[in-house]
Amino acid sequence: MSPRAVRTRRSLRSSAGLTALSLPARAISFFSGTVGLVIKIALLSVLNALAVWAAVILADHREWIAVAVLVAATIAIDIVYLSPLAGAVPLKFLIPGTVFLLAFQVAPIAYNVNVAFTNWSTGHILVKHEAIEGIKRNSLSESANGKAYTMAPARDAQGKLVLILADDDSGATFVGSRDKLTPIPRNSVRRNVDGEIVSASGFKLIRENELFKLDKELQNFTVPASASSAIQPEGLTTALELTPTLRYDSKADTFVRIKDGVVFRDNGRGSFTSGNGEELEPGWKTSVGFSNFSRLIHNPIVRRPFLKVFAWTVSYATLTVMISFALGLFLAIALDKSGMRLQRLYRSSLVIPYAMPAFLSLLVWGGLLNDDFGVVNNLLHVDIPWLFNANWAKVSVVLVSIWLTFPYFFLVSLGALQSIPAELTEAAKVDGGGPWQLFRRVTLPLLLVAVAPLMIASFAFNFNNFNNIYLLTQGGPGTGDDVAGATDILISYTYKIAFAAGKGQDYGLASAISLVIFFIVASISAAAFWRTKSLENVR
Amino acid sequence: MLNKQMARIGTVLLAVAAVALLILAPGAPAARERAHATTLTIWVDNVQKPAVDKIVDDWGRSRGVTGNVLIHDFGKIRDDLKTVKAENAPDIIVGPHDWVGDLAANGLVVPLFPKKAVQRQFPGYALQSFSYGTATNRLYGAPFALENVALVVNTRLARVPKSFADFYKQALAFKRKDANNIALAIPQGSGGDAYHMYPFFSGLGGYVFGRSKSGTLSAKRIGVANKTFLKNATMIDKWNRDGFINSKVDYGTAKNAFVKQNAAFWITGPWEADTLKTAGFPVRLVQVPKIKFRSVPFLGVQGFMVTKFAGTHGVNSLAKDLVGDYMMKSGSQRALAAANGRFPANRTAGKTVTDSILKQFGAAGAGGVPMPNIPQMGSVWGDLGGAWVKATKGADATPARSAFIAAARAIAAKLASGG
Repeated sequence: MSPRAVRTRRSLRSSAGLTALSLPARAISFFSGTVGLVIKIALLSVLNALAVWAAVILADHREWIAVAVLVAATIAIDIVYLSPLAGAVPLKFLIPGTVFLLAFQVAPIAYNVNVAFTNWSTGHILVKHEAIEGIKRNSLSESANGKAYTMAPARDAQGKLVLILADDDSGATFVGSRDKLTPIPRNSVRRNVDGEIVSASGFKLIRENELFKLDKELQNFTVPASASSAIQPEGLTTALELTPTLRYDSKADTFVRIKDGVVFRDNGRGSFTSGNGEELEPGWKTSVGFSNFSRLIHNPIVRRPFLKVFAWTVSYATLTVMISFALGLFLAIALDKSGMRLQRLYRSSLVIPYAMPAFLSLLVWGGLLNDDFGVVNNLLHVDIPWLFNANWAKVSVVLVSIWLTFPYFFLVSLGALQSIPAELTEAAKVDGGGPWQLFRRVTLPLLLVAVAPLMIASFAFNFNNFNNIYLLTQGGPGTGDDVAGATDILISYTYKIAFAAGKGQDYGLASAISLVIFFIVASISAAAFWRTKSLENVR
Repeated sequence: MLNKQMARIGTVLLAVAAVALLILAPGAPAARERAHATTLTIWVDNVQKPAVDKIVDDWGRSRGVTGNVLIHDFGKIRDDLKTVKAENAPDIIVGPHDWVGDLAANGLVVPLFPKKAVQRQFPGYALQSFSYGTATNRLYGAPFALENVALVVNTRLARVPKSFADFYKQALAFKRKDANNIALAIPQGSGGDAYHMYPFFSGLGGYVFGRSKSGTLSAKRIGVANKTFLKNATMIDKWNRDGFINSKVDYGTAKNAFVKQNAAFWITGPWEADTLKTAGFPVRLVQVPKIKFRSVPFLGVQGFMVTKFAGTHGVNSLAKDLVGDYMMKSGSQRALAAANGRFPANRTAGKTVTDSILKQFGAAGAGGVPMPNIPQMGSVWGDLGGAWVKATKGADATPARSAFIAAARAIAAKLASGG
């Protein structure tokens, strides 16, 4: 490196440091006067207004604890920011961070943990009383030779709600009240060309708005038709003879099947089930303790491929990060030479994979790698089953992940290289170090101080990189009769067993697995961070 | 000090003003208490909105109500219905029939009982597709449009096949003419596509779920590797060897090959009707010729469903009147099906279809099997498609027999894992 280059670089850095120091200072002085006060009042007002608004809504839903917490927190924030005490200053800086931490980290995690202990899944999303209503509704069935009627709700002379009914088969006409079905003369009921009832002598038909207000009453209106069945309105102009197949006993909290007397009891896991395991739908959402976690251990489709999938997940994430870092760093060093022609063009073209939406790149790569019709095989005149062979699919997935990740490390390394003091490399050169030694002993250790935490973050990201896997191979190709495919990582496998198995969506199980994955990633990252601490000693 | 006091007073004043604004603004709790009694909220996708608007208007005039037809992202209707707040929830939704099992098992849609005279206007499978129950089937929706795949023949390159043997011979003969040619453009790709493959599956005796005695679909009776099908599965190995079906052909490749006349036969559905009309060569659409059994396609049926929220909103009778009666009439059916370019479910309305492509798609769906609507179907797609991919991927393909046995095992394992 020429002395001139060293000088320019150093002077650049120091001038950057100067502006970095003076800008905040100037900003502070600008905002500490009246301007700052006005901004502060405005922001606090907005906050208070939002809090009052939220409190009104919460009170509307009778969430009194939440209202109390909200009010207390808002008052506390107001006091801190309006307080003239010097002791409140650190709090002023801590509060925004804490609020965001609570809102965007702690709350979702708490929610996730909460879900992991419930049976929230297809068939278990309502609360119990809604589920009971649902079962009653579903239990109605058309009687074997039940009649269908054209219907019109009306009021009788006393103003009571009745149904004017015309049998669709025989044309016989009736008036139905809550306690009986009474024939009325056919000519007392007038019908239009569509067959709809337009008037009935002695009764006043209920129409439009008045009728719509009666919706709830109509839903529960039944005219006894036989010992077991009843005529019920269905819509606005039809009534049917329906028989309930189940009877709910509210005292015992059981459903009894009328046909054979089978009793369905609350099984404690959100369903009414009979002695031989028959289940009534819908069920409801309820707490099930550790059963989702015990399913993880006892369920063969989860347990059997777990180690295989786990090993692949770790190697996938490690390979992606390591190779991308190596490639990014290599390119960064190669393009770090000052005075290189078209340097900016090279640099910006290398960032393209990063700038393109990953969704698009993945879909395009899927097409490029098609083994009979893909561009890659056609250009290279090879016949590699990129996506159809288990091992090649793994290679493809890693390659595409590297394509998407290396620009990131290229950018980071480029920045980190600038921050290595030129004196150090100069001194190493004077001491007679070759380029490789220089890189190995000076550049890389210093670089890792800055980049290692980012590598850990990238590892954690790729560990859970659902998109890369799902858009490219959907976890496939399948291997034997395992649910896990060759390229399934833990998160895509979780998706398969929680959302494409059993009855469909199983949020409880999914949350339980993601908690487990969280602990795996957290312990790997913690261990890695602990290792990188030793790197900082090189300073 | 003066500054501090001013600040406090200022805050209070501004807060009060802001609160007043927010509470008066629409969407605040006060505004939510609007009269629900005479409006119906309907979730439809943007394609259907104009047709639904018109039908709801016509119906509403005769009933004295107004509809509130909201556009909702089609793919999200099902899952959003599970999380939406009751006050914003729709009374009626549009959706494909294979959502029914999931929605009914969750207790979110209510059974409908249309009049017999109305039901008679629909083919049995259209009503069955919207029926669900663990013990007894109930109807949960009003079907209005059918869709299914058909065998599309480029009649400039090939004749409409008289039999499966004829089809097979013509396809292979065409493939041999040019290295770029594909015998049959049927989409699979590495992920597989059990939907498009279904005619070949059913033609060899395959089925997904059997029915229990009471006529409901049973997730315990998996037919993916039933004896009859396994006996015929050696034909798949022959198709693979001859290059009749190749799983490396994905959707884009298949479409391209047919449009560029590198394939004389294509398996596709009415969503490509415009492609067919503008292809620049004559096409004919038929059902895939009978292999061992009739090679029927999967049927997708679209319909409207009444949600449990209609009852909460006090519009249950209205919603049932609209969906279970008015929307099932042939006039409404024609308009609804035409809006998204599908064949109407109502037979009377079906007779009035004049679009020749649509008519041919309708005929090719005869005898078709509605995609199973039970929620367990989610466990099937990936593995069934995967078995086809493995069995038809060319040189290193798995014998079909073992591929489908493995798929059936994986499906059974996944179904057993459900809580």
